[in-house]
Amino acid sequence: MDLVLQLLFTGIGIGAVYALVALGFVLIFRATNVVNFAQGEFSMVAAYLMVVFAVDLGWPYWLSFLIALGGMALLGVIFNLGVYYPLRHRSFLPVIIATIGASILLANSVLAIYGPQPQVLQGWFETPGIQLGPVYLDSQYLLIIAVTIALVIFNYWFFEHTLLGKKLQATSQDKEMASLLGISVSTMIMITFIYSAVLGGLAGILVAPVLFVSIQMGSTIALKAFAATIIGGFGDVAGAIIGGLALGVIETFGAAYISVPYKDGFAFLVLIAFLVFRPQGIFGERVAEKA
Amino acid sequence: MKLTRRDFAAGLAAGLAAPYIIKSARAEGAATIKIGMCAPVTGPAAESGRYAIQGAKIALEAVNKAGGILGKQAELVIEDDQTTNPGIVLAFSKLAAQPDIVAFLGSIRSTQVHAMAPDVLKLGKPVMIGGTDPNLTHMGNQWLFRFRPNDSYSGRVIAEYGVNTLGKKKWAILHSTDAFGTAGGKALAAALEKLGCPAVLDQGYANQSQDFTPVVLAIKQSGADILGSYFTFENDLGIFARQLRQLGVNIPWVGSPSIVNITALKLAGPALYNTFGVADYAEDSSDAAKAFGKAYRDVVKVAPDNQSSWTYDAVSVLSAAINKAGSTDPAKIREAILATKKFPGAEGEYNFDQNGDGLHGYNIVKNDKGNIVFDKHIEFTD
Amino acid sequence: MAAPAPVIRSKPLIVRHLPYFVAAAILVALAAGMQFDGYVLNILMQATTFSIAVFGLSVVLGLCGQINLAQAAFFGFGAYAVGLGTADLHMSYWLCLLAGCLAALVAGAFLGMSTLRLGGHYLAMVTISFQQIVTLVMINAIWLTHGPDGVSNIGRPALFSTSQGYLAFCVAVLAIVGYIVWHLPDTKLGRAMRAVRDNELAAGVNGIDVFRTKIYAFGICAVLGGLAGGLFAGGFAYISPDQFSFADSIVFLTMSLLGGVASPIGSAIGTGLLILIPEWLRFLKSVPGLYLAIYGLFVILIIRFMPDGIWGFVANIFERWRAKTQAPAAVKPLLLKPAMVGGDIVLEVRGLSKHFGGLKAVDGVDIAVRRGGVHALIGPNGSGKTTTLNVLSGLYKATSGSIMLDGTDITNMPPHQRTAAGLGRTFQNIRLFRSMTALENVEIGAERRGNTMVGQGGDAALTERAMEALTFVGLGHRANELITSFSYGHQRLIEIARALAGNPTLLLLDEPAAGLNSTEKLELHELLKRIAAQGLTILIIDHDMTLVSEAAQHITVLNFGRRIADGESMAVLRHPDVVSAYLGSE
Repeated sequence: MDLVLQLLFTGIGIGAVYALVALGFVLIFRATNVVNFAQGEFSMVAAYLMVVFAVDLGWPYWLSFLIALGGMALLGVIFNLGVYYPLRHRSFLPVIIATIGASILLANSVLAIYGPQPQVLQGWFETPGIQLGPVYLDSQYLLIIAVTIALVIFNYWFFEHTLLGKKLQATSQDKEMASLLGISVSTMIMITFIYSAVLGGLAGILVAPVLFVSIQMGSTIALKAFAATIIGGFGDVAGAIIGGLALGVIETFGAAYISVPYKDGFAFLVLIAFLVFRPQGIFGERVAEKA
Repeated sequence: MKLTRRDFAAGLAAGLAAPYIIKSARAEGAATIKIGMCAPVTGPAAESGRYAIQGAKIALEAVNKAGGILGKQAELVIEDDQTTNPGIVLAFSKLAAQPDIVAFLGSIRSTQVHAMAPDVLKLGKPVMIGGTDPNLTHMGNQWLFRFRPNDSYSGRVIAEYGVNTLGKKKWAILHSTDAFGTAGGKALAAALEKLGCPAVLDQGYANQSQDFTPVVLAIKQSGADILGSYFTFENDLGIFARQLRQLGVNIPWVGSPSIVNITALKLAGPALYNTFGVADYAEDSSDAAKAFGKAYRDVVKVAPDNQSSWTYDAVSVLSAAINKAGSTDPAKIREAILATKKFPGAEGEYNFDQNGDGLHGYNIVKNDKGNIVFDKHIEFTD
Repeated sequence: MAAPAPVIRSKPLIVRHLPYFVAAAILVALAAGMQFDGYVLNILMQATTFSIAVFGLSVVLGLCGQINLAQAAFFGFGAYAVGLGTADLHMSYWLCLLAGCLAALVAGAFLGMSTLRLGGHYLAMVTISFQQIVTLVMINAIWLTHGPDGVSNIGRPALFSTSQGYLAFCVAVLAIVGYIVWHLPDTKLGRAMRAVRDNELAAGVNGIDVFRTKIYAFGICAVLGGLAGGLFAGGFAYISPDQFSFADSIVFLTMSLLGGVASPIGSAIGTGLLILIPEWLRFLKSVPGLYLAIYGLFVILIIRFMPDGIWGFVANIFERWRAKTQAPAAVKPLLLKPAMVGGDIVLEVRGLSKHFGGLKAVDGVDIAVRRGGVHALIGPNGSGKTTTLNVLSGLYKATSGSIMLDGTDITNMPPHQRTAAGLGRTFQNIRLFRSMTALENVEIGAERRGNTMVGQGGDAALTERAMEALTFVGLGHRANELITSFSYGHQRLIEIARALAGNPTLLLLDEPAAGLNSTEKLELHELLKRIAAQGLTILIIDHDMTLVSEAAQHITVLNFGRRIADGESMAVLRHPDVVSAYLGSE
């Protein structure tokens, strides 16, 4: 039982990481119908920004954090203008390829500037964790889980109860209709890119103390997060969160009870099963109509 | 500026032509002895690639100061192997196409050496390698010379040290499922079997795992009282070490060389205190090792490790061998390398056997609060 | 009258394409005879084998419009079959190569089957998952694959044991595969793939088995991947799992897009460039990561500025210079000979219902369409007309009820089988294959299984039949123009011609007059008369009361998914329920 609890905590912790990145996927997908293969690199870039400011320059953690998120907002703008916007009238395929190009560009630019050495970024808390009975709770994972919950609530409030959120919703559901209502579609898409770059960055900064800061940190997580997105039902915020958590738990238990080396395979097996038997995901009737 | 399609096409054409122009502008150098080197300048192992190049350069400088090779200055020609197998095949074939290169430095990664081996055999020139898969020097390729002890030794040294020095008999083995980790894990398991205490847990893991909780719990449950490990990437090692300590496992731990690697020390911090590692390079193990350590610190400003020591030794031994052979004829160089005995290198004393293995033992070092301290050297003669 | 059928190609294909084979032979001879150093040889070997794998992508992605992010996995199937077979089992190279292709084929077909329910991003994800699982198995199933150590000492056929000889062999294979892929678009299967890519729905109702076509496309793609992998393994004598990873699938895809996804020439160009560019950019190596960063930037720029790839860009320039191909000259008048198997009633619909959740879009409708007449189905907006038509043509599955077409029960058939059974249809919002010419569109219609008017269904017969149909609707002289150059009204006529070319038993017209001006409506009316005169039965749905009342002898009226009136035109139109329900709401 102790074992199960410990695995469950770890699974939820790692799942929350997937969920955070998946959230960024979903927002962009809903607004533009595009899968952003560079989402993982957003996380990586933000983590490196933290290393630059908090570690190398020794600035206060909170200030570095704000600067890093600001940097991500800027990256969101550049990404939209440079990668998505020029291709917005083309089919999904060229856009996918362009985002793949962007991911190669971002990863290797950081490599060129910062070198290949993995870096250490300390966490928010001094204490590494709490022993709760038989279960050890890593403080950084606790923080990640808390932030994920907070973001779910924030997203709900933002999209359902603010004008900007509703405008964004309208844009993602029907662009023509939204523009007829006087909503500037390109502004809304710009905001979406900024928001999802910031979200991706947040995920990267949160996960960096656990997984260290490396060039590859984003791509591994992103692929899983993508799987989580589909399991949750593409285009559904709650689905992405649940999908991410489910994937983390399945993976951890699969590793513990079936096979460690094939750990990464479980995510994809679950995914294929979902795609074959329930392509609309856990939630999401809507997606089927969109497809 | 508005970029039109036509501008872009013109730019593309210019971009494609540029390398040729640059290449033709590069003048041919003066008469030097050239040594080719495939190193990961890009890709996941780019970091260690940088160290490897530094090690080779320091040795080359020393050789040139002492009069060079056959009276000529020696020069290193480096090609990026991109840390991939196709990458090293292309890098090596590019170097192999230059007839004035007399010998080569291959990779520290066994799969890459496997990948380039057919081309090495075809070319018929000596290649110094750092890959530790025992098979590399036992598959009938006479042109490969190893400058690190192979994994059959590291496994035997870990087992020997744990069983006979630390007195522990219930082993858990943890290894990555890549070529290096699999071969190492196998060697360790075999050595333990021979010593009469087979492992109670033999666990593989995939590289770039984000979480090791299931592995740590498995170790905890197995009742093992000592852990032997083969990690490839430092970030995996760092994550594992931290989770191991967090979940309260404090059994002795003897690891493969990566456990004492400087990046790993930086990432894992206190989680690795009091662990043991086998190290082909230990700064305090010999005078030659100390000398290399000093030279490396002077140039690179960080502590040296095995990524740079093997290339340092490879260039030193190779240069001495060519000088002894008195010719750059591949067959003569080969004979001279195989005849190298009692050569004091940074990694240890080189006594080449007929397979092309130069080293036959390892140092055991201890992580004493973040400082790597030399403990003992275990050498095998069989 | 002009001489019949000058459309038929004058010289046999083999003769017209002689230059291709001569050039290929010269390349093979060069590969065998020229002295290369090891570096050039390796680059050429890589480029040749990769090109074949990328040809596969040009089939699945370029022709059929399906994404495949697992080509490296198929490449790996071939490579491992040859590697393990020759090195471990000491089997014949040829046998191993064949086994590799078969394994890839099976896996490809399996992946193709997942397209039954999935497209776009989902398909992308399935292929990524497949790729990841294959990689994991390659690494971890050590007993089979040697794990991460990889397989060394891979054999080659005795005939091509030297590196250059083997390269020449690979170039020869490349030339043959290239030729096949080049001509695939003009074959029946190739046309079907293009139709699926352009408009899946229309492809289905024109008798193309969409699902099977996709499976074929994936199968071909996988086989080419496997073949390329087998050749690669022999060429490099060593393989390991990291050569067949997801990253390599991305490289294959980028190669395909860079060169131009639609053509094998583009594939070869893209492959060559993406192997050479990183090599050329090696002079930037002093800064780690810099050249891959530039590579990434190039990918974005190429996608942005050369959407059709490099070859597409070049081909477009050529296109401007090349004179427009002349339309084939006039032909015999179109003959419609609708099959007459069943009795007097061609289409008999009984108790047909279609429910969407709680909504009863169509509820217990009976329709009986008499042979040889024009039958109209009318009703106000939302009355269930178009739903009925979609159930009839198989785009929706009926909730209950039965549909008999000329004595055959077609209730549970997929669209393409209904078409084979004799159903032809057009769409309210025109669904033509937009990347094709008018003639090619109509040829796909003529290819209908069970079309008795095209003999054995040879290319010449199909072209002739399609020309007849196009001439029949008055557009024969513009046969070789792309769909996009036709006006809306003409596109509608082409759609009708496409249905007519298949010689259907029953023609379903979904609001044919929608969006036409009054002259065009008049022309349409004339056309319908000429069709009906040849004895073809028509079921028409339209709002245009003039057209319906003048053209149709028999009318069925729907409202709220139920039949409210049925009978002879004039009587039905005067029916008080109809007047209030239908005309009242107009």
